[in-house]
Amino acid sequence: MKLIGDPIDRVDARRKVTGDADYAADTPVAHVAHAVIVTAGEALGRLGAIDFDEARAAPGVIAVITHHDALHLPKALQRDAKNPGERVLQLLQDDALLYNDQPIAVCVGETLEAAQHAASLVHASFRAERPVVGLEGALATAYKPHAAGPAGETDTARGDVDRALREAALRVDAIYTTPVENHHPMEPHATIAVWHGDDQLTLYDATQGIFGVRDRIAAVFELPKANVRVIDHFVGGGFGCKGAVWSHVALTAMAAKMLGRPVKLAITRPQMCSLVGHRPETRQRLTLACDREGALTAIRHEVFSETSRFDEFVEPSAVQTRMLYACPNVITQHRVVRLDIPTPTFQRAPGESTGTYALECAMDELAHAAAIDPLELRLRNYAELDLGEHKPFSSKSLRECYRRGAEAFGWAKRDPRPRSMRDGRALIGWGMATATYPARQRPSSAIARMTPDGRALVQAGTQDIGTGTYTIMTQIAADALGLPVDAVRFELGDTSFPETPISGGSMTASSTGSAVKAACKALVDKLANLASGDPVSPLYGIAPRDLIVQDGALVGREHHLRREPLASIVARSGQREISAQVRAEPRPDREQLSTHAFGADFVEVRVDPELGEIRIARAVGAFGCGRILNAKTARSQLIGGMVWGIGMALFEHTVRDPRNGRVVTRDLADYHVPVSGDVPDLDVIFVEEDDPHVNELGAKGIGEIGITGMPAAIANAIFHATGTRVRDLPITLDKLL
Amino acid sequence: MHPFTFVRAPDTDGAVSAASAGDAAFVAGGTNLVDLMRLGVMQPRRIVDVNGLPLADVEDAGGGIRIGALAKHTDVAYHALVRERFPLVADALLAGASPQLRNMASIGGNLLQRTRCPYFRDPGTPACNKRVPGSGCAAQAGYQRSHAVLGTSEHCIATHPSDLCVALAALDAIVHTRGPNGARAIAFGELHTLPADHPEREHVLAPGELVTHVELPAASARFAKASRYVKVRDRASFAFALASAAVALVMDGSVIKDARIALGGVATKPWRSHDAEQILVGHAADPALFARAANVALQPAHARNGNAFKVPLAQRTITRALILATGSSGSGGAP
Amino acid sequence: MPALLGYGSPRVLAFVRAWSIDHADRAELRAIRAELRGLGASLTIVSDGGTWSFRPDDDAERTTAAVYPDHLEVPRDRDALFVLDADDHVRFSYDAGGSLAGTLGEALAAAGAAIAAKPRPTMYTRREWTLTCLVAGFALAVFPGCKPRARSRARAKEAHVPPPPSMTTTELDVNLRVNGEPRALRLDARASLLDTLRERLGLTGTKKGCDMGQCGACTVLVGGRRVLSCLTLAALADGQDVTTIEGLARGDQLHPLQQAFVAHDALQCGYCTPGQIMSAAGLLAEGHATTDDDLREQMSGNLCRCGAYPNIVAAIRSVKGGA
Repeated sequence: MKLIGDPIDRVDARRKVTGDADYAADTPVAHVAHAVIVTAGEALGRLGAIDFDEARAAPGVIAVITHHDALHLPKALQRDAKNPGERVLQLLQDDALLYNDQPIAVCVGETLEAAQHAASLVHASFRAERPVVGLEGALATAYKPHAAGPAGETDTARGDVDRALREAALRVDAIYTTPVENHHPMEPHATIAVWHGDDQLTLYDATQGIFGVRDRIAAVFELPKANVRVIDHFVGGGFGCKGAVWSHVALTAMAAKMLGRPVKLAITRPQMCSLVGHRPETRQRLTLACDREGALTAIRHEVFSETSRFDEFVEPSAVQTRMLYACPNVITQHRVVRLDIPTPTFQRAPGESTGTYALECAMDELAHAAAIDPLELRLRNYAELDLGEHKPFSSKSLRECYRRGAEAFGWAKRDPRPRSMRDGRALIGWGMATATYPARQRPSSAIARMTPDGRALVQAGTQDIGTGTYTIMTQIAADALGLPVDAVRFELGDTSFPETPISGGSMTASSTGSAVKAACKALVDKLANLASGDPVSPLYGIAPRDLIVQDGALVGREHHLRREPLASIVARSGQREISAQVRAEPRPDREQLSTHAFGADFVEVRVDPELGEIRIARAVGAFGCGRILNAKTARSQLIGGMVWGIGMALFEHTVRDPRNGRVVTRDLADYHVPVSGDVPDLDVIFVEEDDPHVNELGAKGIGEIGITGMPAAIANAIFHATGTRVRDLPITLDKLL
Repeated sequence: MHPFTFVRAPDTDGAVSAASAGDAAFVAGGTNLVDLMRLGVMQPRRIVDVNGLPLADVEDAGGGIRIGALAKHTDVAYHALVRERFPLVADALLAGASPQLRNMASIGGNLLQRTRCPYFRDPGTPACNKRVPGSGCAAQAGYQRSHAVLGTSEHCIATHPSDLCVALAALDAIVHTRGPNGARAIAFGELHTLPADHPEREHVLAPGELVTHVELPAASARFAKASRYVKVRDRASFAFALASAAVALVMDGSVIKDARIALGGVATKPWRSHDAEQILVGHAADPALFARAANVALQPAHARNGNAFKVPLAQRTITRALILATGSSGSGGAP
Repeated sequence: MPALLGYGSPRVLAFVRAWSIDHADRAELRAIRAELRGLGASLTIVSDGGTWSFRPDDDAERTTAAVYPDHLEVPRDRDALFVLDADDHVRFSYDAGGSLAGTLGEALAAAGAAIAAKPRPTMYTRREWTLTCLVAGFALAVFPGCKPRARSRARAKEAHVPPPPSMTTTELDVNLRVNGEPRALRLDARASLLDTLRERLGLTGTKKGCDMGQCGACTVLVGGRRVLSCLTLAALADGQDVTTIEGLARGDQLHPLQQAFVAHDALQCGYCTPGQIMSAAGLLAEGHATTDDDLREQMSGNLCRCGAYPNIVAAIRSVKGGA
């Protein structure tokens, strides 16, 4: 029986297609009060008088909470600097204005209509100053942060870049910019807070990390962690913004505590632009040099990104540049600029999405300058070793990704000259780029339980943000227990289950998958020990290590005729269930290896030569991501990443008004994400790898790599179609006119 | 959303009298009104539901057609008479919004839909003359990518967002209304007003005056064979126009006997260019001629920094629409 | 600020002779959990078969053997329910007059409503006082570690609680037929169809993605046509048939579109999925799509941020082809 890898239907799909899946805001809570956050209209200065008399007097309004009467929560300003998922919170503690759309009041009503109405009646005055909200004018104030991303050094240098640049046969030196972008998962953040007494809190919260919410809220309210329970059975997308804990979660808990009744708060779509983080604007200078054969001799990648005045987030855009190509001389550096904006955060492939965009466009420019095919240029600079970390790769099939992707796309038929390919009126362009994302693992835990009926229940805190966690964990558990999938139930999304990391960084399969596998193995071991030592069992006397699972039974490795169903071992124990809980740690040999997933994207665009309209005609992505746990959900996830790449390349742009720092593109009509009409059928190729080093499962993670190569592949295709090199995302038609 | 009283109008006269007192609004599909009420941009104290009125039919009117103001976009767009006589209207309707919105939105409501200017739609931005007369215009020195280059004033540069209205402007539609002072017919070009000093006024209708029908005159049916609506937008679908052009021609062989050109996405009201039409009439269809007409159409343009691209874009959109309407050159449709 | 039960963790004690977890249906358990969340309370059910402890988000646990409290004033033929506040005062008592089995959710709802309407009694009648003492005494026996709290603490905080505000906004009667069931509602005129479905009727399958008509997550069928429920005032749907995602399947038999969405993995996070499916149902009924490009164009009102579009198109194509 092969289960891992099988393209089985999602085990939670039925609940999702019937409307039965309970997302945080769907949790039924009787007599719940509804809360709405009121935000500031200015970005910098002090809050003046707040007029809320009319709001409080409006029908159905229970309370209007402002900094005059909010609970005093001094821990809101403290964050654990080592925890990248913590943010400084704005919890109505004072009159300071730090960014436009900062919370200044919370209105609570008997109904949502009443709370919304109250919010519209709160009028604040401001003593405002002109903020600084754009990167370009503030580069002189940049500083060097302590780190770039969770694990990255801020700056690196190897070899002699200056000399290599001086001596190079060819150079490319260009500045690429990526704008502020918003995550806009379809489910807006929502929290329901239920206090049980004054020191026990249950939160139903839309989050990618229930344990992070638990820890942060416990800290803010000065409660023991055990007194805060966070539940989230279904998450309506996250893409990073639900990875940190934001102010609205604590504000909901605060309102519920002050009012002594449950409170529900869903933030509005316009508030999604400012209250839950964004991808920071970046400005990246890429300098590449190569010799006459196209061998890279120097890479310099300098990154500026924005952060808030009161907190730090660094977009680690140059990290992949340290290892992607076999170049002896490489400088990378990250600088950060403080602006009067809300704190940015992780957004799908933070660093790699913005960074591979710049690097892979520069590679295309170099290929054009050197008159070398862009794919050939990459092959000539193929990195067999991670020269940044001085480590071998645990596995790397990028060459195969290039080959199979190019073959499926028909890359060999590409005419290298820009504007050379047409279909009727349309200009056709073909572009490609490399995709990359690290394969990470963090400690995680799970519990496996078996009842006398032979059914298994496996639980781990974790979250399913649409990635298929419910499904792959069920498959992993079924495989380890030798059971059919429908004999296994996997539960998640509850801090009363064993602790797991955040659903982010493409590491849930790796981290929690390993924990599930280990817990199931531990359960099997326990049952094997029981049977081996029980004279009644047919397996009595066989050493536990000589027993294997097969079709729901333990079987002697050497004695196939001796077997006992798992169910009967549990039943005979006289216990309600047998369980095993395990915390799985990353393998020690990972330290000696560089662990990354790689891929290659090939894109065809059609560009209207007069009107500038750009449409994606087709795309192929070939990915080497270790072992694929479910070919169906994995394909969906990679397609989804590629669709994000389309959005990033062509549409997505959060615009702030420089006069007051207010987001102008406040809704989904002004902030465009791709619609069905923008997305052709996308071809995904798995280049399976056997990598025993990354983790017990050999899975590298696939949540983010799909986005990383696409923006550059599209930009390169647009250059090929039009001869115009647009270096500032998004590439909208006005930039081609 | 502010509280309001909800009144179901029993008949047209009842609707008019219910809405004639101050602070009332008619509601049909609600797609624009409910949105703006929830945003706090519009705050009527009384909502008059006109959905019970018998104004949803599409009928023959002596070779033209008469469209009830309550007819839904979908029903009009797929109506056989509309497709046969006024395909431009069907195309413009289907280029707008999404199927769900087209199932809800009424024709009458479309005529009066409000701008998508992000400053207008955000009460957190104090300056908007359209929302709060006299408060200023945040867009004049703000983000202008979606804003108008034609018909603007120093008080407002908000774009009229409708696709349908561009086709109706081209086809000389007539708007029939019933108001406190009885019924009247308004030429389409007279319905909308320019912002000038009063951006809060967008049309000539009096309080309580209800659009009852839109008439497409028989005389405009002669454009059916050579008309085209071209809409340029960032996304492939479900996006407002950066520029759009409705062209309607009467051809005699390759010679243009009569022409109508209207623009959307670039003007403060559905924009008709009579001057550009004059360039075409009497001449053989030819891309150079089209480009000349397009230039003339944008002569009155006044672009700001953030929307200067709309001038060449609108010109090219007109040219493209003329090429497609006449089958002049190139092959295939838009990419 | 009115508080339902003030500070301290309340408990609900229900004497239901014939109750058993095996006989409770899903809807009843859901209602019980909703009420317990609303009260911030835990529930102990004392039945002939044993004592069950119940927290809103955990499976019911059998805690002790049957200890039916014959010494209390609970008649053996009439079930009863009590809400005890943190001071172990009985805040609400409910005499079922008969069996509570199967109607526990309703009894809890009555308790929640009564407590919401009457924030905190300051005086007890003599009978209530006796009952308080008796039930509190029993609670001490049932809940290990439970101690009566000092009374002054919680009281002081609640000294000046204003009465709950009245709802005096414009209301109107709206009659809907939702998934075939007639629903007569008295609604705030401002209520959208979306909020009415979700907050009043508990039909949370329909999702709120933007509340401004720009995402399609709230798509339902009204009169058989796909519309956006966020921009539909509930009053405008008066007299209409409304079909939501919950009404699409025939019993356990999924609608072909639902089956196809599962088979083609036409979803990831699933949040836009009800809207996508309802929109697709509308699309098929409209009959204006012939090519894949038509499908893409006519599904463009439904955003999917996970990017499942190719699979969504494939799913709809398969149903259209099979129809």
